[in-house]
Amino acid sequence: MNAGYINDLLKYVPSNLRGMLEKLPDNIKTHVEEIRLRIGRPFMIGGCGKEYFLGRNGLESVSSQMYIVTEEDIKSAVQLISNFSLYSVEDEIRNGYITVNGGHRIGLSGRVVIDNNKVRTIKDISFLNYRIAKQIIGAANKIAGYIIRSPDTVYNTLIISPPQCGKTTLLRDLIRQLSNGLKEYNFQGKKIGLIDERNEIAACSFGRPRNDVGIRTDVMDSCPKAEGIIMMIRSMSPEIIATDEIGRREDAEAILDAINAGVKVITTIHGNDLEDFLRKNSLEKLSKDLFERIIILSRKKGVGTIDKIYDKEANLIFSIDDKINNLQNKQISS
Amino acid sequence: MLLKLIGGIFIITACGLFGIAASNKYRGRPRELRNLRSSLQMLETEIIYGATPLPNAFNNIADKSCKVWYDFFKLASINLNSGIYYSVKEAWDSAIEEKLKNTNLNKPDIELLGQFGNILGNSDCEDQLKHFKLFYKQLEQQEDAAVEDKKKNEKLYRSLGFLLGLAVFIILV
Repeated sequence: MNAGYINDLLKYVPSNLRGMLEKLPDNIKTHVEEIRLRIGRPFMIGGCGKEYFLGRNGLESVSSQMYIVTEEDIKSAVQLISNFSLYSVEDEIRNGYITVNGGHRIGLSGRVVIDNNKVRTIKDISFLNYRIAKQIIGAANKIAGYIIRSPDTVYNTLIISPPQCGKTTLLRDLIRQLSNGLKEYNFQGKKIGLIDERNEIAACSFGRPRNDVGIRTDVMDSCPKAEGIIMMIRSMSPEIIATDEIGRREDAEAILDAINAGVKVITTIHGNDLEDFLRKNSLEKLSKDLFERIIILSRKKGVGTIDKIYDKEANLIFSIDDKINNLQNKQISS
Repeated sequence: MLLKLIGGIFIITACGLFGIAASNKYRGRPRELRNLRSSLQMLETEIIYGATPLPNAFNNIADKSCKVWYDFFKLASINLNSGIYYSVKEAWDSAIEEKLKNTNLNKPDIELLGQFGNILGNSDCEDQLKHFKLFYKQLEQQEDAAVEDKKKNEKLYRSLGFLLGLAVFIILV
């Protein structure tokens, strides 16, 4: 981690607020996860479970000195985020966030305009949340061994995690490692088709990945997962399909198609535990034995804690509580 | 006598050139408005079909535009990328101020273009498209007026310059 991540985002923050952020001490800068702007409310940042308020001179704890975000601030922030072109981020606004260079995501909320029971756009944007995305090289070191089946193939893998537990970070690094190949497991790099619907994993800008996703990875960015998976299989002959946050019925069908086509799948889903996944109606087509490895993340020991790993028969093969780490070696040899 | 004649020729040429300069303004305006229209049509395509962000869109269409508009859109693009301006309007206005003041366009033309800067990038595609259509209508009126003015004034100013020179010469002699 370094302060570079927050610096990436500074150009999307109006200059008066930017000045305050620049005055932050370095140790806080490196830990900032969120920058929050709410109209008529104090300017706030958050990170590592803590919150800080900002004033003209950087950090501020006296409430009368805190900087109150104005309508003008929000307006110019929206202009900066959308690169002065709201029309170019129409679809993203409809989803409630805009992804900017570096894979950082900026959440928006305000008054929603509905058209035919569907969200048409968000008008009068009044709340912004800058979420800092961090690529952590090596985040998947611990789990790579569980996912590699033999030097030639991997397990179909599902990562289950509540929001903000490092799911995307883990997936990104896993893709990078599997794509490059891993010497210690004698694993050759595989061709990976990455369908990056929210453009968070590879963080492409103008089609070019900003994050390192490995040398054998093809990226279809901002593409709906269901269509993307089919397109990838047809056109790019991937050996592994990777995608983030499945949830809709079409996603489940496309994943089933991929597995039936003999392609391995690595994907993620929101949830706390295995039961949450089993309860999701829209994913009923995906019986849990399709996935040969299910990884549960939590924040027990900080962001990105690998909590449990299940195998195909829902047997626990790793749990942070039991520390049965030595099982890892057994899995690879079998 | 010879001196008088030379002076007279000078006066007539000077006034004549003055007249030609004035008539050129009338001749150039319809052309520039026409070029503006084709540049904006490209911009429309960039926005509606390409969803290209404005700084890039300006840059792209500048490369395909004629001199005046090349300068204008290049500068507008640079302005937006500079990070100094907080809205399209400000960047747009500053480009107008710098690049369009010494062209053949008249004040209403520039005001019309200025207003257009207000809406650029400020809404979704559908809305942008509506504004483009409206702008073409308004531009058409300006173009018609410009053609009319050209017909009326181009020859008038040209001959007026020479005649004025001749008149001054006659009075002085």
